[in-house]
Amino acid sequence: MKFLFVVSCLLNAHILMSQEETSPIQVNISPKISAKDAITIDNLKFYLTNFSLVKSGETVWKETNSYHLIDISKPSSLSFNLATKIDFDEIHFSLGTDSLTNISGAMGGDLDPTKGMYWAWNSGYINFKLEGKSKSTSLEFHLGGYAPPYQTVQKIKLKTTKNDLTIFLNVSEFLNQIDLTKQHKIMSPGKEAQRLSKILSTLFYVNE
Amino acid sequence: MLMSKNNIIAFLSIFAFFGLAMYFPFTTPVKINYPKSWPKPVYDFNKNPLTQEGIDLGRKLFYDPILSKDSSISCSNCHLSYTAFTHVDHALSHGVNDSIGTRNSPSLMNLAWHTSFMWDGAVNHLDVQALAPISHPAEMAEDINNVIKKLQNSTSYSGMFYNAFKDSSITGEHLLKAISQFELTLISSNSKYDSVMQKTSSFTPQEENGYKLYKKNCASCHIEPFFTNNQFENNGLFIDSLLNDYGRYGITKNPNDSLKFKVPTLRNIEFSYPYMHDGRFNNLSEVFKHYTKGINKSKTLSTHLKTPIVLSSNEKVDLTAFLLTLTDKNYLFNKNYGFPRALFFSENE
Ligand code: HEC
Ligand code: HEC
Repeated sequence: MKFLFVVSCLLNAHILMSQEETSPIQVNISPKISAKDAITIDNLKFYLTNFSLVKSGETVWKETNSYHLIDISKPSSLSFNLATKIDFDEIHFSLGTDSLTNISGAMGGDLDPTKGMYWAWNSGYINFKLEGKSKSTSLEFHLGGYAPPYQTVQKIKLKTTKNDLTIFLNVSEFLNQIDLTKQHKIMSPGKEAQRLSKILSTLFYVNE
Repeated sequence: MLMSKNNIIAFLSIFAFFGLAMYFPFTTPVKINYPKSWPKPVYDFNKNPLTQEGIDLGRKLFYDPILSKDSSISCSNCHLSYTAFTHVDHALSHGVNDSIGTRNSPSLMNLAWHTSFMWDGAVNHLDVQALAPISHPAEMAEDINNVIKKLQNSTSYSGMFYNAFKDSSITGEHLLKAISQFELTLISSNSKYDSVMQKTSSFTPQEENGYKLYKKNCASCHIEPFFTNNQFENNGLFIDSLLNDYGRYGITKNPNDSLKFKVPTLRNIEFSYPYMHDGRFNNLSEVFKHYTKGINKSKTLSTHLKTPIVLSSNEKVDLTAFLLTLTDKNYLFNKNYGFPRALFFSENE
């Protein structure tokens, strides 16, 4: 994947994977938008949840209460600690919230319904929200939905052994894969929300 | 490659938060009362333990127009306590936005046993139900945050939130959980029907016959003891061409759900007119006329209504007599449910 250059949207979520200061493992999460897209992003927010670490195919560590709302406009949201120090060769997480979370009523922290990521008239979390403008049209992608057959939560598995890793999300490629003249607004769960969520799940990658 | 790095360590504040949140020394635990024969509630009280402080706060919020955009409407405008928390005389609830204005406000009772909320099940949990009336679908985040700002500016509210949740910084979670706490206390289990079931009273012969007719014709959907099966059914109403409300279909987008609505309870039916999701029927005789003569045989019509219901005029009288045994004066005129005068007028701001 080549990038011309990165505009303003560089997110870094550093995950300190140790309570001991000695060997922190850092993970940076970095949505990328290329300048040639001529796209303005006003709002980019998404949930990354259920972080776990895997060694030789076995889960060696799981984060409890693992919910991270990544918000491009809030640097503090891009930085969080995973309280472990363990050898791993894969990092697993989900884009979005699982169905149990979606049916468990009011929750706090990053899941508080004041975060702008909850649908009032069709209960459930918005897992991924992108709002902005392209040359010709406004963009409004509110992707979510937990009820079968239109579940949108996506499992993501990345191979890495790095203690300091950056997870990129290629937002430009996401927008490239959508025909924005036809599809620029999704506000409810359904086939399209699911399709776009699947596309997004393929666009996370790690720097090596 | 451009890359900036921020390390923010939030351990201390997280520990402080949980430390506080788990510290409930001065709250007064409350247990809801319901008949032994009833099943266990669906609502998970472990996640929101009832306390007198939480219930009081929720009750005040329920009656406070501060929750609406222009501070003009409270929950109680559409859900009046002495009419089973519904909006009598209004077929379609009058209020803050279009989404609300297309449906009849349902009665509120025994909510701890509901598996979904709204006529189409749009809401999946009691806690998050209040988000719907206090917000507009497209702009939801703005609105609830405004409500919270308004509440934060009120010293009496920050005090009450502190008393209930040991956290005076008001969060969406606590706002919603407080409203739930009050709503969870709205239990109707003391009708004549209930005392007959508990063998402390007995039906008149007319009511007894009505009960039989109910069991034969209505109980497949309006199941005891809540008089609902918590399912979505098409009970044969013709669609209103102005409202074009396809019910459950709007949520699931599954054609098999077209024209299905949540089966409402029949408890306190004497007081919850007008009837049906759009309030199209004003009285029970119109309802009976519908079930006996007015069934629209559309594709998704419930199998329970495929064979026509036949009721003679005497039987309609008997069935009505039975339905009136579902009226619960204890619930309708419960002083713990009404406008909490003391909670409003002790306030000096
Ligand atoms: C403008 C009128 C109006 C206001 C104000 C209002 N409601 Fe409602 N309420 C309704 C209507 C109409 C419905 C049914 C909506 C639907 O099915 O789409 C409803 C449904 C409900 C339900 C679901 C009941 C069930 O059996 O599914 C609950 C609970 C409820 N309201 C509580 C509240 C609370 C709490 C407030 C205040 C925060 C409130 N309402 C404010 C009109 C209103
Ligand atoms: C197939 C299932 C089914 C059967 C059988 C059934 N109902 Fe209903 N009932 C419903 C549904 C669904 C609604 C809500 C329909 C709507 O509003 O669109 C309803 C609504 C009602 C209402 C209005 C309640 C309110 O608060 O608005 C009354 C009254 C009622 N039914 C009485 C009866 C009686 C009496 C019988 C038996 C003669 C009966 N029902 C049989 C499913 C059923």
